[in-house]
Amino acid sequence: MIQVDRISKSFGEVQAVKEVSLVAEDGKITALLGANGAGKTTSMRMIYALIKPETGVVMVDGINSTENPVAARARMGVLPDARGLYKRLTARENMEYFGRLQGMSEADIKRRADELIQRLGMEKFADRQTDGFSQGQRVKVAIARAIIHDPQNILLDEPTNGLDVMSTRAIRAFLREEKARGKCVLFSSHVMQEVSAVCDEITVVDAGAICATGTEQELLALTQEQNLEDAFVNLVTQKSTVGGVS
Amino acid sequence: MMSQAFKVVFKKEVTENLRDKRTVMSSLVMSAVLGPLMMLGLIIMTTNMTKGKAEEQLELPVINVSGAQNLEQFLLSQGVKIVPLGDKTPEQAIKDKDHDVILEIDENYAADFNAGRVATVKLYFDGSAKGTANISVRKARSLVNAYSSSIGALRLQLRGISPNIMKAVSIQSHDQASLESKGGQMMTFLPYFLILILFSGSMYLAIDTTAGEKERKSLEPLFLNPAKRSDILAGKLAATITFGLLTLVLTMIVFKITLPFYPQKKLGLSLDLGMYKILIMLVVLMPLAVVASAIQTIIASFSKSFKEAQTYVGLLILLPMIPSLLLMFMSVKEKLWMMLVPILSQNLIINQIIRGEEPGMSAILVTIFGTLFFGVVLAWFAVRLYNKETMLFSD
Repeated sequence: MIQVDRISKSFGEVQAVKEVSLVAEDGKITALLGANGAGKTTSMRMIYALIKPETGVVMVDGINSTENPVAARARMGVLPDARGLYKRLTARENMEYFGRLQGMSEADIKRRADELIQRLGMEKFADRQTDGFSQGQRVKVAIARAIIHDPQNILLDEPTNGLDVMSTRAIRAFLREEKARGKCVLFSSHVMQEVSAVCDEITVVDAGAICATGTEQELLALTQEQNLEDAFVNLVTQKSTVGGVS
Repeated sequence: MMSQAFKVVFKKEVTENLRDKRTVMSSLVMSAVLGPLMMLGLIIMTTNMTKGKAEEQLELPVINVSGAQNLEQFLLSQGVKIVPLGDKTPEQAIKDKDHDVILEIDENYAADFNAGRVATVKLYFDGSAKGTANISVRKARSLVNAYSSSIGALRLQLRGISPNIMKAVSIQSHDQASLESKGGQMMTFLPYFLILILFSGSMYLAIDTTAGEKERKSLEPLFLNPAKRSDILAGKLAATITFGLLTLVLTMIVFKITLPFYPQKKLGLSLDLGMYKILIMLVVLMPLAVVASAIQTIIASFSKSFKEAQTYVGLLILLPMIPSLLLMFMSVKEKLWMMLVPILSQNLIINQIIRGEEPGMSAILVTIFGTLFFGVVLAWFAVRLYNKETMLFSD
């Protein structure tokens, strides 16, 4: 479970994130929905303890990630915006490298890598060097690498960005499985269909601040729109309903 | 001290880079193998050029040669080949490098000579000319001088005076340069060469593990693992140092193997570098691998892309040239404090070894620990660089 309480960050003059709060619960998929440049990536970077928030706190399973970033990171598996692979290592070696950095035993790494290769459908390319992989193959390896240690919390920054239908479906199905296993899944996206298709809770951000929070139904009711896209446009243009529902 | 992350990162960087043909080619093959071979080739070529010119017959254009038939006879008897100058003025001929040196007999030469006055000849040459041209000039000058003193001596004898009256002091030359120190003159660029190889051996990894990783966007995911950034960077730096050392050791081995092929007799020198001396060179250079790796890692860390890093690090390689070049042209008395200055100290000690001197144990120890201390300070700085958030992103 991830609890974010009023975190802010500014770069020079620009206030990128203003007092963002949200809760991502176990057994649910939570989305951070916002347009390009709304502050999603910066918020995510603070949540997964890469950069420090200027104000506010992030608690990961009760661990304060500012005070104890190493312990907090061990509880998270993160697919960041930057998802470069080591192209002279095979897909499996990429996963093993991160498994070792997570402090896993070789036996656990092997078992978990085999499981992820099978679940994400990576059998055909698991033992090839990743140089020349397709976008879809690369994202699968990056996800498998990020959650090799089977973390309780899975955070993904625009996971299906630039992927084809088949890869997108595979990743959505995988995230639903993880949710069913009681994991806390938090992802950022600007794609309405995606959020609509997989998410239980939605937090809408615009210009670095939260516009609304709730389930899709709640957001539709709040804005009196028929679909999420219209609701989103309504929320970020009018901003009359700041505060949210839940 | 040795954390799990350090070991994991170190192992991964070494394996990954050994798989990369470009790294292996550029650091190991190009520097370590081709480097010493190129140096050997260069030395053989220069010795052949110098030696050849010195033994070659001097070709000397003499203007107005009919005015000095005695001198002409003398020159011919000394094996000089007198050649025609052609249409050019002597100034132009020198400028165009048609000849290294030209002798002109003054028009009043015959009259002055016969009257017992000082007769004049002119020698044209280019004092700034490189290499072997100077040998011809020296030869021509000494021939004329020799002729002049032999005639002078004859004139004194004719007047019943011993020619020795003209010699108040005679110089007996005792050149104290040992055979090794003559070899040293040819080899003064060896330290620079070895230091350069040390830098280039670690250059690729220094860039690849920092700026390269940032550019490929794998740095952010890497830092999301539950490990201290300084531990991860320490592992990377250790891999970089390892490649620098590997290149250095390989180079020294190839250098040692090529040693017997140096034209030592022709150079009149003895490059007596036994295993012990090679090992001393190796141990004073080894701490420099830490300095080279750390400083290149720091510079690469500030760069946003591989190419940018390559530009800056390429400029850095000029740095070790400064002490090497200074020592090539200046005679420096080794002092112990100099051994505290990295690069300078390695230059001094390797130069001493090449000259056949034994560097003192204190100098060696001060060099090793002075350089190591400097390297550790730089490394400490390098592994902490990424604790700054602004260093993490290339955008």
